[in-house]
Amino acid sequence: MSGDLRLDRLAKTFPNGTAALEELSADIAAGAFVSLLGPSGCGKSTVLRLIAGLEEPTRGRVDWPQTRGSLGFIFQEPTLMAWASAAKNAALPLELAGAPRSEAHARACAALAKVGLEGFANALPRELSGGMRMRVSIARALVAEPEVLLMDEPFAALDEFTRSKLNDDLLRLWAERRFTGIFVTHSVFEAVYLSQRILILSGRPGRLIADIENPAPYPRASGYRTSPEFNATAREILKALEDRAA
Amino acid sequence: MMMQGLRLLLPIALFAGLVGFWEWAVVRWQVPPFILPSPGAILTVFETDGASLLGSAWITLGTTLAAFVLAVISGMALAVLFASSRLAEAALSPYAVTLQVTPVVAIAPLIIVWVGLDNAWLAVLILAWIVAFFPVLASATAGLKAVDPNLRDLFRLYRAGFRQTFLRLMIPSSLPYLLAGIKTAGGLALVGAVVAEFAAASGNTDGLAWRILEAGNRLQIAKMFAALLLLALMGVVLYAILSFVEWLLLHRWHGDRRRA
Repeated sequence: MSGDLRLDRLAKTFPNGTAALEELSADIAAGAFVSLLGPSGCGKSTVLRLIAGLEEPTRGRVDWPQTRGSLGFIFQEPTLMAWASAAKNAALPLELAGAPRSEAHARACAALAKVGLEGFANALPRELSGGMRMRVSIARALVAEPEVLLMDEPFAALDEFTRSKLNDDLLRLWAERRFTGIFVTHSVFEAVYLSQRILILSGRPGRLIADIENPAPYPRASGYRTSPEFNATAREILKALEDRAA
Repeated sequence: MMMQGLRLLLPIALFAGLVGFWEWAVVRWQVPPFILPSPGAILTVFETDGASLLGSAWITLGTTLAAFVLAVISGMALAVLFASSRLAEAALSPYAVTLQVTPVVAIAPLIIVWVGLDNAWLAVLILAWIVAFFPVLASATAGLKAVDPNLRDLFRLYRAGFRQTFLRLMIPSSLPYLLAGIKTAGGLALVGAVVAEFAAASGNTDGLAWRILEAGNRLQIAKMFAALLLLALMGVVLYAILSFVEWLLLHRWHGDRRRA
């Protein structure tokens, strides 16, 4: 692991004058699973885009040596190439980096198998269900074995059952690979279930209003969702949000 | 399945019926051949003037195809320029639109003067190209703009070069739009070529349009019909080929959207 990710007084104002993010400082330890939680339009997605280098900060900086392939990104939509098979989609990061076709294909198939899509390598996105498409998207994000995985409300559009299944799969993959996971969500319960740490942002412009540790050990089985510990952390978060609103 | 059979059978049956009625009507009411020749008389034209008609058809087809290829290449190139530079689009697109909305027949005499009557074929090529060019430009521009912004970000994230982004993202994303434009351009190239041949109105072009003018002046109505028949056939075949190419390229990931 190449080190921690440090957000140093990060701020973003868009050219049209919208202040998306006021000032965010946080150290995220390598291999941690952190959620960014907040209402819609609080600049959560902007934080991810700043970390990814898709957007330049107005002030402050992201301190982390990003190299090619060291970062994975999962969007809210599966964002697949409709004309390419699942394997072709999953192999994209490798092929863009110039990996030989056969090697890229083999690794893509292995990545698909990891997310439970054995036998779907040749399927086109339109032949897959919404949940399966998201799995292809996860396989693509992980195929190059990134050190940091950025997730922008990836399961928000899925039904409750698919969503909790994918939450479990995501935690399993994280336990195996130990990437640094940064997960954006507006669901308190999803944040609690997944994360070791929850950063709560206020509404526009985004500002850090609470930094909550979730000490519950992994693996977290589905029983965790109804446990007193889960409730305690969820209450802590809701209180932080209420205090803010008051 | 039933519907598809009917789709094929109905036009053929209707065509046979109409031709039969036409043949019968011409004889029944003794229509003079310089007004409406019978289908049989039109067919005999192919025996007597077949070689000259086919030669002219060949010329018109050649111009059409050349104009079509030029239109596809130049339309795509300009669309890529528009997609990569807003400045270029702002500067050039008014001219492209102006060229498109100005009736080509009106531009024809000017182009013919410029290239000289000796090079009438070149004038025809240029005019056919002008007509066919715009749908390619418009559809390719729309297609390139329709690229999923998240996928674009993804390509940036993985540091794809321009070539990679162009070949793996821009081209496939815009393909459905592009092919629709190309299909239109195929038909328009033929229209443009024929209109330009009429406008040039000289034996120097020697295409089918010239054969039609020539036959009209001599009241050889059957020959006019024969030339028309060849033009229609050419248009249909062109359209069929382009539709097939479209189906070939798109049916796996796009064509079934209609059913979904």
